Amino acid sequence: MDNTPKVKEFIVAEFMPDVSVDELDADFDLLEGGVVDSLGLLKVVAWLETEFNIEVDDSELGPESFRTVTAISDYIGQAQTSNAD
Amino acid sequence: MLAERLAAIDAELAAHDLPRDRPVGIRAKKSPEAIALVLACLQRGLPFVLPSVELAADTLDQLFAQAGVSRVLAPLSHGEDGAAVLVGDPPAGGEAMWPPPGASDGGVSFMLTTSGSTGLPKIVPLAPSGVDRFTEWAATQFEIGPSTAVLNYAPLNFDLCLLDIWTTLKVGGRVVLVDQDRATNGAYLADLVTERSVNVVQAVPMLYRLLIDEARESGRVFDSVRYALTTGDKMPASTLKELPELFPNSRLFNVYGCTETNDSLLYEFDLADGNVPTDIPIGQPLTGVTALIDDGNDGYIDGPGVGELVVKTPFQTSGYLNPALNEGKFFTMPDNGDEPRRFFRTGDIVRRHDDASITLEGRSDFYVKVRGVRVSTQVVEQAIQEHPSVIEVAVVAVPDELAGSRLHALVRREGDSKLNSLSLRQHCTSRLARTEMPSTIEIVTEPLPKTPTGKIDRKRCGPRQERSHARG
Repeated sequence: MDNTPKVKEFIVAEFMPDVSVDELDADFDLLEGGVVDSLGLLKVVAWLETEFNIEVDDSELGPESFRTVTAISDYIGQAQTSNAD
Repeated sequence: MLAERLAAIDAELAAHDLPRDRPVGIRAKKSPEAIALVLACLQRGLPFVLPSVELAADTLDQLFAQAGVSRVLAPLSHGEDGAAVLVGDPPAGGEAMWPPPGASDGGVSFMLTTSGSTGLPKIVPLAPSGVDRFTEWAATQFEIGPSTAVLNYAPLNFDLCLLDIWTTLKVGGRVVLVDQDRATNGAYLADLVTERSVNVVQAVPMLYRLLIDEARESGRVFDSVRYALTTGDKMPASTLKELPELFPNSRLFNVYGCTETNDSLLYEFDLADGNVPTDIPIGQPLTGVTALIDDGNDGYIDGPGVGELVVKTPFQTSGYLNPALNEGKFFTMPDNGDEPRRFFRTGDIVRRHDDASITLEGRSDFYVKVRGVRVSTQVVEQAIQEHPSVIEVAVVAVPDELAGSRLHALVRREGDSKLNSLSLRQHCTSRLARTEMPSTIEIVTEPLPKTPTGKIDRKRCGPRQERSHARG
């Protein structure tokens, strides 16, 4: 399942309310662009845990997993697959 | 002419029987008549406040009230019955701070004002002895004598006039006044310099840019100039590299100083072989000046490093007229048996390089720590300002529980542009470090809040909910 639209909606609502969802490219570098900083990352993780019931392991909490909407979406996909195992 | 005018004003002031132990306020735009009025006050030993006439009427009244002036004087060029000076009552109300507590050094002559980033300008009283030491230094350093013509570009209330006007007149030289209303007219300025055979020029970089543009069209050079001084702002390399051709007989200097301390450091450019520095050193301390770089930890940086410039000069004020403002700006260093060493914090962050040269980094007011990293909000503002749809921008630090502080940008865009926080972030990524990127960006179309002097009021540019509190 593609979680990209849902992730985009969250990112826009949380970090850039003046932007429309269509404008955010799924490959835009959220870290480089200062949209999500180290504190923002904590918000993303909290949202993943409540919204998708994903347990984010602290050791996995590298910024690379959350650099773009695509990366976050992929992370969700992998986590859900391994949960299903 | 000036002598006659001075005599006329002096006679009128004598008739008014002004108290010698209280200052007067001077409300005057630059003119020969205004200069005669200041000279009359100096001659009579009357302290005087000389603020910018461009301040709002209320602000001027508050300044005069704070100084406890006995009268407000204005020069008249064609007064009724030939009067040379208008003598008005002091503004009512306000708490007079006069006299300044630290003025032990033979009293006060000039009281200049310095623009605070917000609120009422600060009054800076200068002792006659300090002014004398400065005029002696300036006349010697720049060879100003009875046959010298000095251009005065700055408005009359600026400390720069202590060199251009007051040093020159003291030694019997000739001051060439730039009309304030034509200060951006390149042809007028170029004519003044050539036709009046100006020998010394002191001005902000803008004057040099105007002269360059004019000279390029008319093909002229300013060969009467012996000393060209730039001050007040960073000289762009593009302007600097044209100066040797423009002033073929001139030495070129960068002058660093503050109203509180007057000139403190001096740098002479060596532009031979087209050797133009991009980062202009502010130079070496003048004789009698001590310049230190504060490390921010009660110590001073001996070698290379970055910190706030603190100086002590023979010309400096003993403190603001309002002593409450001295806190954090003036301090006395423990002495070694010598006289007390009173220093002034310039608020300028400087860098000392490996070769011991010192360059400006920015204003300390604009430095904040974001996640432990020192960031200049000025740098961030400049990067955002470079976006073509941005009209104006303010970047402020907002206290944050976790980060210590985070950056908030308030941006005014062109009304018809589609600029949003995402496109602005894309614009900034190539220009700013990660720590310099604002955490929040708010984009508006209405003008940003301004101070009474027309500068952006950054205290009112925080995030929206905090702004509405600040206004309430």
